[in-house]
Amino acid sequence: MLGDEVEFTDDERDVDPDYLDFALNEWDTYATEEALRLVEAAGSGEVVVVSVGDEDAEDAMRRCLAMGADRGIRVEAEGRLDPIQVARALAEVVQSESADLVFAGVQSSDSVQAATGGALAGLLDMPSVAVVTKIELGDGKATVNRELEGGLVDVVEVDTPAVLTIQTGINEPRYATLRAIKQAEEKEIEVRPVGDLDEPASRVRKMFVPPKGEGAEMLNGGAAEVAQRIQEIVQEKLA
Amino acid sequence: MSVLIVAEHLRGQVRPITLELVSAAKELGEKTAVAVIAKDPASIADQVDVEGVNEIVSVKVEQEEFENDVYLQAVEQLISDRSPDVILVGFTVNGMGYAPALAAKLGIGFASDVFALRRDGDDLVAERSFYGSKVNAEIDFPGHDRVLLMIRPTSWQPAEGDGATVEAELEADISGSRARHADFQEVASGGDVDITAADFLLSVGRGVGEKENLGQFEGLADKMGATLSVSRPLVDQGWMPNSRQVGQSGKTVKPKVYLALGISGAVQHLAGMKTSGTIIAVNTDPEAAIFNVAHYGAVADLFEIAEELEKLY
Amino acid sequence: MTATRDTFAGLETWQIVLWYSLIVLSVAIFVYGVLRLFLKYRRGRGHEKLGNRRERAIRVGKVVFTHAWIRRRDPMAGLGHLLVFYGFMVLFAGTAILAFQDDFANPVLSFDFWHGWFYKLYSLFLDVFGVALVVGLAYFAVKRGIVRPFRLRYWRPAEPAEPLRDQPRRYELGDWVFLGSLFFLALTGFLLESFRIAADNPSFEVWAPVGWAIGQGFRAIGFEDGAAADARAVDWWVHGVFALFWVSSIPFTKAVHMLAGPAGVAVKDDRAGNRLAPLPAGAKAADVGYAFIDSLLPKHLLDLDACTKCGKCHAACPATATGYPLSPRDLVLDLREVAEGSMGNRAALGIAPEFPEHAQILGTIKSETLWSCMQCMACVEICPVGIEHVPIINEMRRALVEKGDMDGQLQQTLETIYTSGNSFGEAKRKRGRWAKDLDFEVKDIRKSPAEVLWFVGDYASFDPRNQKVTQSLARILRRAGVDFGILYDGERTAGNDVRRVGEEGLYADLAEENVATISGCSFDRILTSDPHSFNTLKNEYPQFGGEWDVMHHSQLLLELIESGRLKLNKGLGYRITYHDPCTLGRYNGVYDPPRQVLEALGAELVEMPRNRDNALCCGAGGGRIWMKELKGEDSPRPSELRIDEAVELGGIDYFVVACPKDVTMYEDAIKTSGHQGELELRELSELVWESITVA
Repeated sequence: MLGDEVEFTDDERDVDPDYLDFALNEWDTYATEEALRLVEAAGSGEVVVVSVGDEDAEDAMRRCLAMGADRGIRVEAEGRLDPIQVARALAEVVQSESADLVFAGVQSSDSVQAATGGALAGLLDMPSVAVVTKIELGDGKATVNRELEGGLVDVVEVDTPAVLTIQTGINEPRYATLRAIKQAEEKEIEVRPVGDLDEPASRVRKMFVPPKGEGAEMLNGGAAEVAQRIQEIVQEKLA
Repeated sequence: MSVLIVAEHLRGQVRPITLELVSAAKELGEKTAVAVIAKDPASIADQVDVEGVNEIVSVKVEQEEFENDVYLQAVEQLISDRSPDVILVGFTVNGMGYAPALAAKLGIGFASDVFALRRDGDDLVAERSFYGSKVNAEIDFPGHDRVLLMIRPTSWQPAEGDGATVEAELEADISGSRARHADFQEVASGGDVDITAADFLLSVGRGVGEKENLGQFEGLADKMGATLSVSRPLVDQGWMPNSRQVGQSGKTVKPKVYLALGISGAVQHLAGMKTSGTIIAVNTDPEAAIFNVAHYGAVADLFEIAEELEKLY
Repeated sequence: MTATRDTFAGLETWQIVLWYSLIVLSVAIFVYGVLRLFLKYRRGRGHEKLGNRRERAIRVGKVVFTHAWIRRRDPMAGLGHLLVFYGFMVLFAGTAILAFQDDFANPVLSFDFWHGWFYKLYSLFLDVFGVALVVGLAYFAVKRGIVRPFRLRYWRPAEPAEPLRDQPRRYELGDWVFLGSLFFLALTGFLLESFRIAADNPSFEVWAPVGWAIGQGFRAIGFEDGAAADARAVDWWVHGVFALFWVSSIPFTKAVHMLAGPAGVAVKDDRAGNRLAPLPAGAKAADVGYAFIDSLLPKHLLDLDACTKCGKCHAACPATATGYPLSPRDLVLDLREVAEGSMGNRAALGIAPEFPEHAQILGTIKSETLWSCMQCMACVEICPVGIEHVPIINEMRRALVEKGDMDGQLQQTLETIYTSGNSFGEAKRKRGRWAKDLDFEVKDIRKSPAEVLWFVGDYASFDPRNQKVTQSLARILRRAGVDFGILYDGERTAGNDVRRVGEEGLYADLAEENVATISGCSFDRILTSDPHSFNTLKNEYPQFGGEWDVMHHSQLLLELIESGRLKLNKGLGYRITYHDPCTLGRYNGVYDPPRQVLEALGAELVEMPRNRDNALCCGAGGGRIWMKELKGEDSPRPSELRIDEAVELGGIDYFVVACPKDVTMYEDAIKTSGHQGELELRELSELVWESITVA
C-alpha cells in the first residue's frame, strides 16, 4: 500500500558556474525527510529520488540517497529548462514508477518558480496540494495541512496517489554524514534519456543585475557612526 | 487582446492580490475581466468592481472555499469559453496549487513570481528574478499566443475606485474535487504581540546565529522602543512564534520604521515588509537582496551595530 | 644471638601447609582477576600498534619511580603518594626477599643470608618505610576527609544515568575502605613486630626502632612473654591472611590502579588528541565511532581502569568549571562502570549494576555531555595515568554524528561547510577579500611560487574583526620582506574542528582537497595564523599525504625579529598578559615563541594565574563555537572567567591572544563580563605592527 515516493531536485545554470555553489535545494531536504519518515512509519516501502539535469545533479541526489532514499533516477538534460519542461521530463518517469505519493519542494531557492510540482500534477492529471506542512496518511487518501499566507492553516483531504509540494519547517531533516554520502555512491542512480519536451513555456531574453533600490543610501563609517546615524533616522522618521 | 484575472478570496473576503492583478493588467491596456469562482460570487463580485475592470464573470460552484480541482476545471473552462491572451493569477499558495498544472496541461506560456510586465510590439515581456533575487531577467514567450502569469504580491498597488463593469456568468461543469477543504486552523498566537500594529519594528534574521543571542536583540528592541519581529528561519527553528514572523507565510507589516538586522532579504520576507515607511538594513553581505528595498543600508556586523545602539539608548 | 628471626615460629606443620595453600589460593584469585581484565580489554575493537617500545618502557620507569606526573600541580600530594608508594614497595620487597630466603635460597641453595647485618639493615629499612607508608596514608586521610578539595569531591555537574545513580556514594566508600585496608596492613604489621619484641625482647631488634619502641612500651605495661607471644600468634594470622586477601583483591578494587596506572602510562599515545585516527576505509555506519562499550580500543578500556579518581581532570576542565553537563572524570568512571558491568569482573560475578554484553554507551552517556567538550586537552594533559579522554570523547561524537544526533546549528554549519567550503557560508571567491584593502598585491601561490604558503583559515579570512589582524600580519610580512602567497579561493576549511566534532568523512574530504591544492603549489614552508589550522596541517595532514614544514605566525614573527629582518621601532611599554591558545599550547607545546615576541616588543608580561599547559580554554574549541550554549544557567562562560582572571591581575592594558577564535571569544567576553573599558584585546600581530609603525 504505502510506499513508492518520488521526489525531485531542480538544477539550473545561467550564471558563470564559477560564481555558483551547488547544493541540494533546501525544500528538497524537507521533502526527502518527510518521505523517509512516512516510509519508516509504515514499515515498508521505497523512497525514490528523481531529478532532471546533467551529472552535476547527481551530487545533490547523493545527499538524498545518503539520508536514506533507496534509489535514484536522473533524466539526462542539459541547459536551462523552464519548470514545465522539467515537469514533462519527469512525467514519464513518475508514471512508470506508479508512486503512491509524489513529493516536490514548494520551490527552489534559486529560481523560485514554485511550479514544477504543480505542473507535474497537471500533466499526469493527479490530485495535488501545494505548500504542505503536515501529512497524515489514510486509506486511499491523506489529510494534509496547507499553509496559507499569514500562517493560517487549511486542512485538506486529498485522494491518493497525489502530488504534494512540501514546505520548509515540516520536519527536521536528518544529517547525512559525508561518509554516508560517499557510500551512497553504491546506490543506484539510473539515467534515462529525456523525452519530448515541447516548446519552452518561456524564454530568458536577458539576465542582469538589478539596479540597487532607488537611493538605498549606504551608511559608511565604523559601527559607532552607523549606529549614530540609525538613531537619527529612527528619531526623524518616527516623529 | 484580453486579460483574464482569477480572483482570490478567503472566507468571504477578496484578497488584496486580486486588486493588485488589476493594476498589473492596466500595464497592458487591454480588456480586463475578473473571474470570481465561489459559492456566492455576488458578494465577492462587489469587492472587485474597481477601476480597470471591464467585466466580472461569476462562476458559481458548490465549494465555499478554495479547492484545487475546482479552480483547475473552472479556469480551464473560462479560458476555453473566453479565449483570453493573458491570464493573471496571484503567486500565492492558492495559485501554486492549480496555475502551473493548468499551464502545463494546456501547453501555454507560463512564468511565475513576475513583478513587472509590458508589451513589446506583439510580444508579452515579463520580468522575474533568479538566483535568490540576485539577478533579474526579462522573459518572453515565443510561440505562445496565450500566456499564464503568476504575479508576485505587493508588486503593484491594489486598484481602487469604481469600475463600469459588465456582468457575466459562466456555468462551469465541475466533476469532482480530489483535494477537499476540511477545516481551517488558526495559528496559535498565545496572546503575543501584534507586530502589524507596531510603528517601529526591529527585525532579525539568520544573522542572529544562536537562539540565545535573541535576548540581546529583545533587550535592544525594548530600549529603542521597537517591537521585535523575525524572518522565517527563526520560526522554522522554533525560536520564535509565527506571530512574530514577517513575510509571506507570516505577517505583512507597514511600520513607519523597519530596522532589519542580519536579514538577507528573501523574496518571501520582502513581500512582507517592503512597503514599510523607512527601511534600514544592516547586513555583512553587500549584495544582500534586502538592500534593494532598503532606504538606508549599512554593510556591517549586526552585533557590532547592536552594541553601539545599546550605548545610545 | 644472631640477628634473625624464625618466620614460622610456633607454627605446626599443618599450619604451615595451610599457609602455603592460602598463598596459592590468593595468587590464583589474583591471576584470575588479572586474566579477566585482559579478556575485557580484548573485547575492544581494533588495536593500537604500540611502537617505540623502548621509549615507552623508559617513560613508565621514569613516571612510576619519580612520580613525575603525579607531582604536577600538587607537589604535596605527589610527596604523599611517594611515601605510600615507596613504603608499600619496600614492604612488598621485604616480603619477597623473605620468601626468596625461605622458599628458595635456603632449601634449594642452602644459602642463608637473612641474618646478622643484613637482617638488621633489613629491619631498619622496613620500619622506616613502614612509617613512610603510614605518614603518607595519614596525609591522604586528612586530605580526603578534612581538606576535601574540589577535585576529590564526587559532586557531578550532571546527573548520571539511572543504574549509576549510586556510584558517587560507592566510590566514597571504596576510597575509605582502600585507605583503611592499607592502614590496617601497616598497623597489624607493626603490631606483629611489637608483639614479638615484647615477647622475646632480642637486643638486636633495636634496629627496628618503631617495633622496638612499641615493644618496650608493651613490656613497660606488663604485656610481655606469654601474653605477647599469644598476641603475636594471633596477629600473625590476621596480618598474613589479610595481606593475602588484599593481594587477591587487587584486580577487583581500587588497588587495580597499581597495575592499570603504569599500563595506562605505557600505552598512552604521545599524540593523543592532536592527531586523531582516521576512519578505516569502507567503514560502515556501525563501524563509526564508539557507540557501544565494545567499540572502544583495548587501550581505552584499559584507560578506564587506570583512573584513580584523583580528580585533576575534573578540576582542570573548563566545561566542569562553568556548569556544563560534562566532567571528564565522571565520563571515564561511567564508562568504566558500563565496561565492568558488561564485560568485566562484576559482570562475571553477577554483581549489579549490570549491563548487557553489547552495551550501548550513547544514552548512558548523554549527548549534551559529549557535546559540551571543548576538546581543549586540559584533562589529557594533566592525567597522571595517561588516560585519553579527548580521543574517547571524539570517537563517541563520531557515533553521534553518524546517527545525526546533534543540535540544529551544528548540523547547519556542517552542511554549510560541505557546500561552501567554509563555516561562514560565504562564496568561495570572497576568501581573499581582506587582501583587497592592502596597498600591495598578495601573491596567488597557486600561480606563482613563493617561499611561504600562508594558509589563512576561515575566521581570519571572513570575520571582520579578524580580517584586521590578518591585514596587520600581511603588512608585517611585507615589511620584513617575506616572500609569501595565499591560496585565495582555493583554500577550504582546514577541518581541525570538523574532525573534533566527529564528522570524520567531511574532514577527510576537506583534507584531501586541501592537500591536493597545496601540493600543486611551489613553496618551502607553510605559515598559518590560526592554531587550529596549524594543528591539523602539521599533525594530521600527513595522514592524507600532505607533509610539510608548518609554522604558526608567532614562530615566524620570532624568527623574523631574531634574525633582524623585522626591525621594531618602539619599545611598547604596555602591561600585558598572554592567553595560551589550546591548540598552540597544550596541543603543540608552542608556549615560548609568543612570549619571546612580546618581550622583544618591550612589553611587561604578567602571566595569567593559569598559564601554559594549565591555560583555561576560551570555550570555542571542539566545534563549540558552532553549537548552542550548554553551560550552567548561572555560570559565567569560560571566556568570561578568563577575563575576570586577567582583570584581577591589576592594571592590565592588553589581553593578548594568538588565535582568531580567541579574538572573537574574548572581544565578546570583555563586553559581556562587564569589564569593557578596563582592558582591551590585542592579537599578537597587531602589537607587532604597532611596534613597527609607531615611531
